[in-house]
Amino acid sequence: MKKIFLFLLLLGPILVFSQEMEGRIRYLVVDNWTKQMEHLDYLSKQRREKVAYMWGNRSEWKSYSNLFFKANQTKYENSEEKAEPEYEGGYTGRKEVFFQKRDFDKNTQYDGLTMLGKTYLIEDSLAAPKWRILNDLKEVAGHVCMKAFAQDTLRKQKIVAWFAQDILHSGGPAGFYGLPGMILEIDVNEGALVLTADLIEMKKLTTELDTPAKIKGKKVKQADYDKLIKAHIKEKTEAEEPWFWGIRYI
Amino acid sequence: MKRFLGLGIMLLALNIIYAQNPAKVTIKGNVIDTSNAPAPYPTVMLLNPTDSSLINFTRADEKGAFEFKNLRNVPYLLKISLLSYQPRQFMVPAHDKEINDLGQVKIKPISMELMEVVIRSAKANLSFRGDTIEYDASTFKVPPGSTVEDLLRRLPGIDVDADGNIKSQGKDVKKVTVDGKTFFGDDPKAATKNLGAETISKVQVFNEKSEQAKITGIDDGKKEKVMNLELKAEFKKGTFGKITGALGDQERWAARGNLNSFNTKEQFSIIGFGNNINQTGVNWEDYGEFKGQNAFSDYDNGDFGFNSGGGRFYYSSGDGGLTNRFDGRGFTKNYGGGANYNFDNGKKSKFNASYTYNQTDLNLDEFAFRQTFLPDTTFFNNDTTNQGEFRNNHILNSRLEQKIDSNNVIIIKANARISNQDAASLQNQFFSNSLEKANNRLSVDNNSNRDTWGLTSSLIFRHRFKKKGRAFALSAAFNQNQNDLNENFTSLNRFFNATSFTQQIRQLNRDNNGNDEVKSSLLYTDALTKKWFIETFYNFSQSSSQNQRRVTNPELNNQLIENLSLFSDNRLLYNRLGTGLRYSHEGLNLSFGLAALQYDLHSEFSRDKGQTLVAPALDRTFTHVTPNVDLSVELPNNIYLSTAYNYNVQAPQFNDLRPVSTYNNPSFRSEGNPNLTPELSHNLSAGINYWDPSSFSSISVNMEYSAKQSQIVYNQVIQPDDQLGLLSITRPENVKGGNQFSTFFWMNRPLIKTKLTLSANGGFNFSKNPAFVNGIENETNSKNSNVGIDLNATPSPKFILSLGGNLNFTNISYSIQENQNQKIRNSSIDGSLKYQFAKKSFVESNLDYNIFRNDRFDFKQDIPIWNASVRQLFGKGNKIEVRLAAFDLLNKRKSIQQNGSSNYVERRISNTLARYFMLSVSYNVRGYESKLKKNNWF
Repeated sequence: MKKIFLFLLLLGPILVFSQEMEGRIRYLVVDNWTKQMEHLDYLSKQRREKVAYMWGNRSEWKSYSNLFFKANQTKYENSEEKAEPEYEGGYTGRKEVFFQKRDFDKNTQYDGLTMLGKTYLIEDSLAAPKWRILNDLKEVAGHVCMKAFAQDTLRKQKIVAWFAQDILHSGGPAGFYGLPGMILEIDVNEGALVLTADLIEMKKLTTELDTPAKIKGKKVKQADYDKLIKAHIKEKTEAEEPWFWGIRYI
Repeated sequence: MKRFLGLGIMLLALNIIYAQNPAKVTIKGNVIDTSNAPAPYPTVMLLNPTDSSLINFTRADEKGAFEFKNLRNVPYLLKISLLSYQPRQFMVPAHDKEINDLGQVKIKPISMELMEVVIRSAKANLSFRGDTIEYDASTFKVPPGSTVEDLLRRLPGIDVDADGNIKSQGKDVKKVTVDGKTFFGDDPKAATKNLGAETISKVQVFNEKSEQAKITGIDDGKKEKVMNLELKAEFKKGTFGKITGALGDQERWAARGNLNSFNTKEQFSIIGFGNNINQTGVNWEDYGEFKGQNAFSDYDNGDFGFNSGGGRFYYSSGDGGLTNRFDGRGFTKNYGGGANYNFDNGKKSKFNASYTYNQTDLNLDEFAFRQTFLPDTTFFNNDTTNQGEFRNNHILNSRLEQKIDSNNVIIIKANARISNQDAASLQNQFFSNSLEKANNRLSVDNNSNRDTWGLTSSLIFRHRFKKKGRAFALSAAFNQNQNDLNENFTSLNRFFNATSFTQQIRQLNRDNNGNDEVKSSLLYTDALTKKWFIETFYNFSQSSSQNQRRVTNPELNNQLIENLSLFSDNRLLYNRLGTGLRYSHEGLNLSFGLAALQYDLHSEFSRDKGQTLVAPALDRTFTHVTPNVDLSVELPNNIYLSTAYNYNVQAPQFNDLRPVSTYNNPSFRSEGNPNLTPELSHNLSAGINYWDPSSFSSISVNMEYSAKQSQIVYNQVIQPDDQLGLLSITRPENVKGGNQFSTFFWMNRPLIKTKLTLSANGGFNFSKNPAFVNGIENETNSKNSNVGIDLNATPSPKFILSLGGNLNFTNISYSIQENQNQKIRNSSIDGSLKYQFAKKSFVESNLDYNIFRNDRFDFKQDIPIWNASVRQLFGKGNKIEVRLAAFDLLNKRKSIQQNGSSNYVERRISNTLARYFMLSVSYNVRGYESKLKKNNWF
């Protein structure tokens, strides 16, 4: 009996292999404002403790994002689907420009994002984070994943990625990639921001991977964009304000 | 030289060693499982041995064969991972041949139990550390109060027998450690039987060299099973608080303290204060910390429909409870305190309750000057009032939010308040004519006691249907108010004119008002398309009130003075039905709709309860249709526009509908008017907000306009009276016309980033109000403009300077007497500095220079207020603060209020607490911040 079970388990990855590597992964994005504040070491301990106390269990904000993928391409963007319960409808805000395209064949990235009210288009060659592979396993969205770790020195963030050993794709959400399996979960700074896959659909895509047309923005290289972030973080550190107001956390 | 030679030889030798290895290498192998069968498709990774960073990876084939070609020939950490097998990693040193064939590489399966129970069912994270497999025990559900032993029984691969002996994978566990330390001696059961399961975060089982081997240092090859229990880091649990005691000259004192205790689900806090320095409550920040996560009140208004607002939650600065609300007049002695409890498990239930008590003892001497304009003349009042007042409030608030499931939520709120007010006032009013010649003096001595009780309670139920965008909400509320007032009233009217006489009135007033209100609302919303919604609502409320005013004459056996007494029994029925469409997409949010509303008023008036009615019962019904439009647009670059229009209908107050007149002060009588109709107004508002996140600049301009179609104004008839000197009678009446316009702007811009910030605000308010004075229409035009500018400089983290100024101009013109037009000017300049002059020492000072002007009366008064303090932190963690403070060093503080409206202009001056010095000592459990605060967000 056990053997049959084991066999079935082993069959799992083969099934994914044999299928066309194309589809969508939906991630549940949980922002935890208190934990984001806790990691700002330039703020006094008293202030960070006060934020944690005053916000209590209300610090989380949930939303959805989508990763569309094909054999050697991915595109990551925010989803219009709402994850927070909404009763009598509400206000809809303006959608800000945000997408991250990765082409592993051409080794290129093409990102569009809004930072501090300005839209930037980043076109560059790919440079994967320096991943350390760790010895932990857990299940995400039905797939057994292995743990990897990277340090973001720019934003002082600890990035933990869980990649599926049975989805043969080195893509992932939020611009992260380069592991021997699809990244199904990203945890930034011990729960300050967590993206967890909760829906994996293997399906033929139509236009989802296309580059959005007619987006105006300043064309920069990743290094230039990182410089802007670095300058902004420095400024906010001096002003003793959180740097992630008006700018993406990752 | 010798050294260099030696080094050279060494380098050469190394070279030779390396020269033996090729520069590039191919690493290959075959992955098999423990039964020697090929393991298909494992992932094979090459890691950097120093930090396990990923260098390369490949997928082996069906037979488990893998190959890395053309690699740099350096040491690698090779890692193999395959679903349901333990990840295996081992060192692959640099190889002496071009092909490094590792041969067969064995991987061990993960036991079925671990795979199924730990990973799939409990969703726990499995960690491999050599031999050790550890997992998060907190994901295994055990009943509250269970011991670790109960938890272990549920863990796969672990067996616990009836006596509590533990086996892991069939082998006895000889030792149990807690956080790596031996727990109460060597008995492994001591820990597992005594520790609570909820304290454990991880369970690890590993093989340890036997004690014998450890002591002798000779590995006898025997290994024993050791279990380590890792405790949860309970970092989200704690207690904090602070306490302050202060003493000053002139017997000034102050004390306050708070204590908060919390864990991941609960917050409990107590707070208390007492002083004689005019602090009627605690400051905003302390109050916020007292309320904890409940300082952000959820927006749960059950009156659905137009004009009921929105938003997720807002910061409530207090519900009349413990925040400082001193209005700047007089001397007060204050005490207060409270307790607050919040529960929120982050899941289904949220509950909070708070109780607060506060009391204030006020002693006030006030001087008021007032000029009243009549169509043909004018008169003056000079009043002095001495007032003593004791007031206290008990306030109880509670709120429960229960999510029944993801589509249903219920909110229950109940707030109660008991207040008492005991006041004694002595007022002397001098009436003088247009030539400022004194005519008469009215002295009023009033002792009063007021008891009030208020209850508001509501229930809101929200439901979402399966269909996206379809929702339903229902609310019900019950509110009750009771107000009992006893007044012992004496007035003495003395005329300076020899021919007139002195009139004395003594009366006892007893007011007894009660109001009960029942309300309910329904709301249904549905999505017509992805962007269009329809919403329909219904509001109902019924309130009944009984207002009794009994005026008796204490000199005539407390006989009822009928013409001053009134009893009314009122009922108000309100119904509103409305519907509207809403469009919401990509930053464009528009809603428009119509509502029909009806007020149904019934009122009966008699002189006393049970007596015959003084007039036929009043039955009035008012029906109106009101449109409503609301638009908000989010433009690119963080520009937000909003505009709204609504038609407002406000029913007249029952008291204004009374068919007879009442008064307290015989010189000021007020009549009712049973023919009043509702106030009707068109209201328009618009705003623009802009935020530049890169510079943190923002600007906001808002305006509001209200055109009154019909408004209730208090027309006056003021005439000489033989007995009273001057008698003024006011009567509410509906008047057409009148409008109000106000604008407000606010901007903030850093001039030098992080060093110098400019903020400015200002506004322009215009109002035109018609009212009749002695039958002649008087149109009062009031124009107010104000502007304020603030510069905030932080040249260094140890020095903060700010400089600001405010101008406030009010021009009031009266159509009946244009020569009396007023120009009131209030302005101020203020500066402050904060300087950290040593590591733990601070000096803070501020100077506010206030200027009051009214040219018509040649009124000029300048009040400079200068405060200064020095404080020092002591102790490890800066837990103690000693502060010496001087308030109003120039001894000039006074309260001045200048205002004017309809047909009068008024100025009130009162004394209040001026110069005093104070020494305070504070202890803060968390410690005080040892640097200056640059900004005031949390």
